[in-house]
Amino acid sequence: MKRFLKIFKVAFLSIYKNRTRSLLTMLGIIIGVGAVIMTISAGEGATLEVENQISGLGTNLLMIQTKSEHKAGINVRMGRPIDEKDFEMLKKNSVWMPQLSPLVAIGAQAIGPSGYKSTMVYGVSYDYFYITSRALQTGSFFTEDDVRTAKKYCVIGQTIREELFPGEDPIGHQIRIDKVPFTVLGLLTEEGSGGMQDMDDIILAPYTTIQNRLYGHQRGYTMILGSALSEDHIADAEMEASELLRESHKIIDGDEDDFEIMTQIELQEITGNITGILTILLGAVASISLIVGGIGIMNIMLVSVTERTREIGTRLAIGARESDILTQFLIEAIVLSLVGGILGIVFGIIGNQIIYKVTGFFIPTVGYSILIGFGFSALVGVAFGYFPARKAAKLNPIDALRYE
Amino acid sequence: MPVKKVIETKKLNRIFKNGEIEVHALTDIDMIIEEGEFVAIMGASGSGKSTLLHIIGCLDRATSGEYDLDGVQVNKLGKNQLADVRNQKIGFIFQSYNLLSRTTALENVELPLIYDRTGQFPNSKELAQKALEQVGLADRIYHKSNELSGGQQQRVAIARALVNNPALILADEPTGNLDSKASIDIADLFVQLNNKGKTIVMITHEPEIAQFAKRMIYLRDGQIISDKVIEKRSTKAFALKELEKPVETP
Repeated sequence: MKRFLKIFKVAFLSIYKNRTRSLLTMLGIIIGVGAVIMTISAGEGATLEVENQISGLGTNLLMIQTKSEHKAGINVRMGRPIDEKDFEMLKKNSVWMPQLSPLVAIGAQAIGPSGYKSTMVYGVSYDYFYITSRALQTGSFFTEDDVRTAKKYCVIGQTIREELFPGEDPIGHQIRIDKVPFTVLGLLTEEGSGGMQDMDDIILAPYTTIQNRLYGHQRGYTMILGSALSEDHIADAEMEASELLRESHKIIDGDEDDFEIMTQIELQEITGNITGILTILLGAVASISLIVGGIGIMNIMLVSVTERTREIGTRLAIGARESDILTQFLIEAIVLSLVGGILGIVFGIIGNQIIYKVTGFFIPTVGYSILIGFGFSALVGVAFGYFPARKAAKLNPIDALRYE
Repeated sequence: MPVKKVIETKKLNRIFKNGEIEVHALTDIDMIIEEGEFVAIMGASGSGKSTLLHIIGCLDRATSGEYDLDGVQVNKLGKNQLADVRNQKIGFIFQSYNLLSRTTALENVELPLIYDRTGQFPNSKELAQKALEQVGLADRIYHKSNELSGGQQQRVAIARALVNNPALILADEPTGNLDSKASIDIADLFVQLNNKGKTIVMITHEPEIAQFAKRMIYLRDGQIISDKVIEKRSTKAFALKELEKPVETP
């Protein structure tokens, strides 16, 4: 053990005495580990972001829509559209879904007094605000009566307000959605999370109005949104809705559903899978840079063995065993890659901070990415250090002493 | 009381095989070197003196024959044991010093003790310091090897060979890279160490340096052709005086 410490000291001195070369050698590992940490963390950050957005969609959410199939890259609706009859039937019979709202989505242009914007207009019922737990900053929601009588009222998100009413109070003003005038009743609170889909770039109006005025040429709803009684009853609600719909659609046992029910949990799983794959992919790319860094270490160690042939010969002549030389060079490689790994971790964490500062996209530096980066760099040290170390140990002392 | 034999070889042969060609580098070397001797081995290049030194120094093994070093039958040992024998029984001195660059004299001298497995040198720093004092470098122990002159570097190398108190000091052309004056200093240092009881075997092709030894072995074509006691040993004073003589140019 004491001898090992001595050899460790020898290896360390050798690194220290070639500071510049050691640092350049480590550079590959530093960048590699930094890249691994940053990419894994970025993937993790994206997952977090998406999860936030999904949970922002609502609580205990269920989405019922017409079955669609991927054909040649586009979604093709199969079966009959989900429509008013389905909605009324569910509303009457469902036990596990106290809140239900149709959703009729159209893309439209909204024109206000001071600006215009292309946006998504959602036709919904009053229940929608419960289901998605969206709140108002000012004004009021439209009521059940407004929905029944198809009033031309709407509630807008913050992004719409900024575009259509910069610096003004929008309540009570009129906007035009595809030429149809609507009165703004309320302004939604900011959803906060930026990212993939802007949850504030939204106009909500009674679904009856949207259907009558803007959507007349199409039958049915985009989907029906439902909220399960509680998180524990999402599965019950799903099963119940499925049974009710099969019955009313007169689907015989054994035939496939002509509708799809997606729950929030399933949505989370799907997106979790996607971001998970993304993280692995990014991590794999970053790992390649680590391997390249390892090859860099091997390269320098091989050069170093050649350069120090006489030193090795001298050490062998004065009584170093092959294993001593092997240990020394292996330690040198491992120390180089570990120190590189530690610097890489620092580099990765600082990099994450810089990305956060510059883009505002928060990247949590996840613990396991540090472990992976560090473990990988140690592995690289051993794997790529062994070959040069063995080469050094196997030198014939006589030839090594004569080497010019 | 009989004098201890440090080296004893019997019918030592070393044959190098290079494809079909066999080269007899050493043929039937019988040699005994006793404790306290100072032997110079001379010979032209290709005479086998380097091969002999490598075998004596346990860096190479004889093709046949026996070799006892300080009571150890060397030709029966494995690689690791040979390394240990080199570590414990031999102090090497090389023509080009072979010091670690950018490393202090003290650290260089400590080097053999790093590889010691017997644990008999717990105070390696002290020993290294003492060895450097013996070669007259007490005031240079923290100088790095590249800050020392050639003669001083060779002294550090000698201190390194002394530090583990080996049975045999083996010098391979120790003055080959030095000027005449430094060469004489080094040869004189060997004489002093020998006077203190060190057994020294030195390979050289400089006759005036060989004259400092007590005994001279002359090799030719892998065989010992003469082995005699030097009757008129050179001294530092004599050698320096010889240097002053004008060189006769034809």
